[in-house]
Amino acid sequence: MKLDETIALLRQGKHVSEETVFKLCLRAQELLMNEANVTHVDTPVTICGDIHGQLHDLLTLFDKSGGVEHNKYVFLGDFVDRGFYSLESFLLLLCYKLRYPDRITMIRGNHETRQITKVYGFYDEIVRKYGNSNVWRYCCEVFDYLALGAIINNRVFCVHGGLSPDVTTIQQIRAIDRKQEVPHEGAMCDLLWSDPDDVETWSLSPRGAGFLFGKNEVDQFLHTNDFELIARAHQLVMEGYKEMFAGGLVTVWSAPNYCYRCGNVAAVLRIEDTLDRNYMIFEAVPAQDDVGNAIIPSKKPQMDYFL
Amino acid sequence: MDRAVQQTDYDAFSCKISAIAKKYLPCQKQLELREFSDYPELHMAYAQSLKNLSRRAYGKVQKAVQSSMPLMNYGTYVRTVAVDIAIEQYINGLPKGSKVQVLNLGCGSDLRMINFMSRYPQLRWIDLDFRESVHLKAKILNSDDRFRQRLGFPAGDLSEEDYVSGRYVLHSCNLNLIEDVLEIIQEHTDPDVPTLVLTECVLCYMKFKPSQVLIDEVMSLYQTGMWLSYDPIGGETSTDRFGSIMQSNLRESRQLDLPTLMVFNSATKYAQRFKSNATSTDIRTMWQYYQTETIPQEKQRLKSLQFLDEIEELEIILSHYVLLKAFW
Repeated sequence: MKLDETIALLRQGKHVSEETVFKLCLRAQELLMNEANVTHVDTPVTICGDIHGQLHDLLTLFDKSGGVEHNKYVFLGDFVDRGFYSLESFLLLLCYKLRYPDRITMIRGNHETRQITKVYGFYDEIVRKYGNSNVWRYCCEVFDYLALGAIINNRVFCVHGGLSPDVTTIQQIRAIDRKQEVPHEGAMCDLLWSDPDDVETWSLSPRGAGFLFGKNEVDQFLHTNDFELIARAHQLVMEGYKEMFAGGLVTVWSAPNYCYRCGNVAAVLRIEDTLDRNYMIFEAVPAQDDVGNAIIPSKKPQMDYFL
Repeated sequence: MDRAVQQTDYDAFSCKISAIAKKYLPCQKQLELREFSDYPELHMAYAQSLKNLSRRAYGKVQKAVQSSMPLMNYGTYVRTVAVDIAIEQYINGLPKGSKVQVLNLGCGSDLRMINFMSRYPQLRWIDLDFRESVHLKAKILNSDDRFRQRLGFPAGDLSEEDYVSGRYVLHSCNLNLIEDVLEIIQEHTDPDVPTLVLTECVLCYMKFKPSQVLIDEVMSLYQTGMWLSYDPIGGETSTDRFGSIMQSNLRESRQLDLPTLMVFNSATKYAQRFKSNATSTDIRTMWQYYQTETIPQEKQRLKSLQFLDEIEELEIILSHYVLLKAFW
């Protein structure tokens, strides 16, 4: 399998054969298998939030942030579901990771599971594109091997959702057996589902999984582990990013005009060698271009409104 | 254009079927009422008849039901329950046993008249919509005794094109032609009887002028009443792009226009169009409604049905829909 050819196909949103996906997923699995639950990354590095199958916006992200040829990236998960190109977005990242292993870190999001992708679009997309669900199964196998977090220069903790009442130290995350479907409760679930909020202590999450946590929990976690920042994604932010708790936590969101209807801008966060934070804001690719609408596939599912 | 508007009925209906299939609807309170106990069965029976009459329409419903997102189920729940509760409150607020009539303008496949007419024996219900929608609905209602018994058997000649019983009228009507509207409602309703007018995603598809004429003329016809209207609003802040994106998405994907979405782009402006005839108005966004009116037990029940990983998106979307009550 020639990686560069597959990358070129994916960048154009073109069909990739079932066999190619199979091989790609197998190789990615072998690579991810050897990664720890929490991987270490050095600066400078660009942190990216949810992508959700918005391939054209992912390409913009790479363009505007310098590209994988010269830069390191940490993706905070939620590569798939909702957008029309979940498969292409996820595979493109896998290809980049195989091609440039030390430049791409992929963290698992709460959408990288069998149960959620069956509800939120990835499964349907695969059946639409391949006529069967094999490719979905290959990808789900890879999901099970994705890391749960990353640490930048021992000072910035990256995770998809947030904290867990079952996790005080990074050591406790390292001890999780991550190679499984995300459970409905417990540390692994919380890391992928929890949200920061204006709460005094751990509270129930309106999402039905994970917890809400407040400044106290964040301060405690940062102090215990000698971190200065938690970088997470998981929540749509209209302005692309949002710092909370005196800068101790940031939400980064990288899917502009989410679901082609929310009207938000997107952001990525570059952490410099000095640990300075630089946010880069970007907008959605316009839906129309000269050769017709490249973004919305012809066999498109409708955009959802209440009519 | 009319066709594009008419098609929206299948969206609304399939959203409802999906919310019923996933047990969002009916709400817990309705489930406990005898008159609502067959709510799911009635809707499923209607969907089955649709299958026999229009494979195409049914195909659309099926597809939408299969791919429906939790967010759509939540929004459909909030919308449906909010309208139902407002109807219930209006009727309950009248002197006990008082005559009352509901005018459902642009009714589409809405079936709420069935349960409400059972619950309130003094209630008359008038459903109006485009000819094509009405013919299809009349055929389905006429074909099944479960519907006919509840609505009252049609009087006089059996017609396939409309449905007229002692208490229920389903009639075709173009809401853009005010003379037609007035002629039909004057024939079937009493101006002195308290009247609830319902427009659920109807005014948003009409041009400014005919929609205003409709509001003004219908409100002036009846002595007293409440107008209940559910619609999207475009958003008024300069950074809010929801409305313009919605307009272009719907125009491009299905040639559907929302002519006044950006005119009445806030709750305040939306309520303004009822002000000249109303003694009071009450309007809130569906997000406000969900936050304040949905009781904790219901929220808990909804949460147990599906993981809702779209809270922020739900807030954005529901903040761009309003429920208005205008009293006169």
